[in-house]
Amino acid sequence: MQDHIRNFCIIAHIDHGKSTLADRLLQLTGTIPPDASVEQVLDDMDLERERGVTIKASAVRMEYTAKDGQTYILNLIDTPGHVDFGYEVSRALAACEGALLVVDASQGIEAQTIAHLYAALEADLEIIPVVNKIDLPSARTEEVAQEVADLLGVDPDEVLRISAKEGINVEQVLEAIVERVPPPSGDPDAPLRALIFDSHYDPYKGVIAYVRVVDGSIRHRDTLKLMAGGAEFDVVELGVFTPGMKPAQELRTGEVGYVATGLKSVHQCRVGDTLTHKHQPASEPLPGYRHPKPMVFASIYPVDPEDYEDLRDALGKLQLNDAALTFEPEHSQALGAGFRCGFLGMFHMEIVQERLEREYDLDILVTAPSVEYQVVLKDGTVKRVRTPAELPPRDRIAEIREPWVAVQIYTPLEYYGAVMDLVTKRRGVLKDQEHPAPDRVVLHFEMPLAELIVDFFDQLKSRTRGYASLDYQPIGYRPGDLVKLDVLVNKEPVDALAMIVARENAYRVGQKLVSKLKDLIPRQLFTVPIQAAADGKIIARANVKALRKDVLAKCYGGDVTRKKKLLERQKRGKKRLKMVGKVEIPQEAFWAVLRVGESDED
Amino acid sequence: MGAHQPSSLGLYVHIPFCRVRCSYCDFNTYAGLEDLMPAYVDALTREMAWYGVHPWVQAAVVDTVYFGGGTPSLLPLPLWERLFDALHRHFRLAPEVEITVEANPETLTPDLLRGLRGLGVNRLSMGMQAVHPQDLRLLGRSHDFPTVIRAVALARRAGFDNLNLDLIFGLPGQPLVRWQEALAWALRLAPEHLSCYALTLEHGTPLQVWVRRGRVPPVDDDLAADMYLWALEALEQAGYRHYEISNWARGGHACRHNLKYWRYEPYLGLGAGAHGFWRIPGQGVRLANVLAPRVYIARLGRQRPPAGEVQELGSPAVVSRQYLTPDDMALELALMGLRLTREGLPDGRFREVVGRSLADFFADALPELRDLGLVDWDGRHLRLTRRGLLLANRVWVRLMEGR
Ligand SMILES: Nc1nc2c(ncn2[C@@H]2O[C@H](COP(=O)(O)OP(=O)(O)OP(=O)(O)O)[C@@H](O)[C@H]2O)c(=O)[nH]1
Ligand code: SF4
Ligand SMILES: [Mg+2]
Repeated sequence: MQDHIRNFCIIAHIDHGKSTLADRLLQLTGTIPPDASVEQVLDDMDLERERGVTIKASAVRMEYTAKDGQTYILNLIDTPGHVDFGYEVSRALAACEGALLVVDASQGIEAQTIAHLYAALEADLEIIPVVNKIDLPSARTEEVAQEVADLLGVDPDEVLRISAKEGINVEQVLEAIVERVPPPSGDPDAPLRALIFDSHYDPYKGVIAYVRVVDGSIRHRDTLKLMAGGAEFDVVELGVFTPGMKPAQELRTGEVGYVATGLKSVHQCRVGDTLTHKHQPASEPLPGYRHPKPMVFASIYPVDPEDYEDLRDALGKLQLNDAALTFEPEHSQALGAGFRCGFLGMFHMEIVQERLEREYDLDILVTAPSVEYQVVLKDGTVKRVRTPAELPPRDRIAEIREPWVAVQIYTPLEYYGAVMDLVTKRRGVLKDQEHPAPDRVVLHFEMPLAELIVDFFDQLKSRTRGYASLDYQPIGYRPGDLVKLDVLVNKEPVDALAMIVARENAYRVGQKLVSKLKDLIPRQLFTVPIQAAADGKIIARANVKALRKDVLAKCYGGDVTRKKKLLERQKRGKKRLKMVGKVEIPQEAFWAVLRVGESDED
Repeated sequence: MGAHQPSSLGLYVHIPFCRVRCSYCDFNTYAGLEDLMPAYVDALTREMAWYGVHPWVQAAVVDTVYFGGGTPSLLPLPLWERLFDALHRHFRLAPEVEITVEANPETLTPDLLRGLRGLGVNRLSMGMQAVHPQDLRLLGRSHDFPTVIRAVALARRAGFDNLNLDLIFGLPGQPLVRWQEALAWALRLAPEHLSCYALTLEHGTPLQVWVRRGRVPPVDDDLAADMYLWALEALEQAGYRHYEISNWARGGHACRHNLKYWRYEPYLGLGAGAHGFWRIPGQGVRLANVLAPRVYIARLGRQRPPAGEVQELGSPAVVSRQYLTPDDMALELALMGLRLTREGLPDGRFREVVGRSLADFFADALPELRDLGLVDWDGRHLRLTRRGLLLANRVWVRLMEGR
């Protein structure tokens, strides 16, 4: 049995055909109908949807009868696409033994091809190189196959040449999975160890853990325990994804499936944790578990204070399904009651923001993101600071430490200069570089995380026309020469606009911030001075001039309807402003901090 | 309807034809449709009949008539004669009725002017707009300043003693002095009435597109504010009374028709895209006619007004009939009434229309706006302050926001 299981994933640069190939494999094996896609199939399962269950297509089981006449179980495990979820990707890879590396025959190797390949190699996976889209007139099949072979150090003959769309040679992919991917190697007689590589929250069955059984097996009604988290539960239901959830009696060594835990929040059942039996526990958990810690913090406020409770409920609901999201109440002088939220990174933050707005229909205001600082006080104590407002007075501070990250940037060689320029302006330090292909380079940097969260992705993309991609991992705290930059609007410090910056940049950032704010804050009925201060000294100032004219020139009988609409639009626009003291400040102003961030550009 | 039977009515008649389209204009008007003029005038006379049969209209006298456009002065005299014939047939005109015709200076001839005067037109409103050739060109106007001088002289000779000139300020690239000069020239023509409008870049007009694409410099609102303040000073000194945000008159020549709009009094709208407004117990009614002249003509070609039986007031050209609640009317009344800079919005009038006092209806907004120095409130009249004049939108938005 165990010999006949193959666990694999597909890794590819965006749009190289990962989803198309997956659908084709599922169709060929009869898992889904010949003309459907996994997403369609999941969408059609109305019952599941009505109950509000979110099934992710993150693991699908197929049965395949190979040329050798034997039937194999193939488990395709999906990997998330965003850099913020690097840890989740690493856990998904850890659940596999092999990976299909898909490369577009006309585009060739791209940034993410390499990033993902590195991660797969680190997880010790067998790599099956696949050149896709050979049907395209612009396909450079042989050339690209050679590039891929060079990258992997294999013979070009080992590279499969297929068209997922046209269904050409897709059988070869299935055969290669059977032949080349090793079967799972766990011990069926050892105590249970199952890796959780994903999860979702189901209102009826509690958290559904997506698992790969490494040693031992799980049966219905077993009592299990999370080795890191400590929670215990009876298995409510277990089964496999076909691609819908199909109950089974047992999940054996090497198998992939789901376990309904009855637990009330994904926080009790985290990705990367190990499941074992309560009464016959394994001695060691599986390696690699990390408690994903939020790296980026921002405050979220309801635009209308009356929505505070709704916002808290919404965050709570999101958290049920999002183990990395943290939030705690916070009060800002300027913005009132809100929440300080922690995210894995900028993408994660954007996802949360969007869901609050779209799914929960909340009007929210999100402040510029910040990192968590460690402030060493003169008395030797260390204080954690997640918002500039928490920074103690200057004379009590001995040292401020900020988080650093190791950054890998994959880029075509021609953008080398542009990338170097960007990174050095962001206080980055080049450590090392590689050339996986003649015209590609991988740059390894270290830089402060604060520099990375401020508009770095966008800058990198625009400087490399979208060709570069990056990956990063935290590497700990380092001391920095940092100061708090205060912003005063109408002479009042606005805590939500304050930021912590490198002293060397304070003046430049202050100037820019003030001039940005001047453009973003609409003219009010009186002149509004805007100032930036560092270390208690004003370093920049500008005035938002008083509004002088805002009147309809003409208003006649017929006109009144049209003019009224105009005024109504003006009224709606006003609703999106936040009153801070006597001044109306739009959301964009709170993000201005982001855009000036590192100053180099414009 | 009895309770709200008005004793007098205004009549707006829309003439949607222009020779060419000006660059800033978003009115309901069309160039190149002049062939439709006879059929259109026919349709207008039929629409007059639809209203004229109504006892409610018959019981009132029409004391103001306004022919607006477009360019009404494009209509040839024989068509005017037909219009006036129908006007007298279907409405009871007050002996002192004010009859205005809008005109573009380059269209005015001695014959037309004499003819109009003879038909009873006693007020002429002329689109002068600017003086400097560069400004006139930017606006896409087809006349020059000497044509205005001639047209004014011709109008005087034809017997018009109530003349308005329209001016526009705050044009892209227009310096303050050029506006000061335009105003000085206009004053030398000694009109009884002046309208000075700040240029508004209307969506979809060529001028707005030019500005958006950077072909023409943007409008400077601060400069426009200075121009407005200058107009306030200069016109006051020249003996004109400022009575509405954009309007000045001397010798009691305020436009009686437009005052009806601002005082929220009833009027009928005839012609393509015209609006009418009146009140019935507890409600306001606003009618809007179909915009396109061809459709307007077609709609009025089919049926005849019913003899005998009384129908709802309106005509087949009506495309929308809006019923306004007292709350709607409160805001509209404020929007309109506050424009009247001297008389303002009388509390008595507000109570009559809305059924509550101003102080009660806008309980929170009024003190706030007064503290901001935007309105004057003496307990009987609500008025914009001098500062409020230029920031009237802020006042209205605040009033709309909640009371
Ligand atoms: N001509 C051709 N087009 C293909 C082939 N495989 C995929 N495509 C097309 O390539 C595009 C991207 O394919 P996807 O399967 O969505 O790619 P993906 O890697 O899942 O992309 P992301 O989910 O965005 O990362 C689609 O328009 C597919 O129809 C192929 O073999 N030949
Ligand atoms: S003349 Fe008047 S109505 Fe005609 S296009 Fe010009 S501005 Fe518009
Ligand atoms: Mg996809």
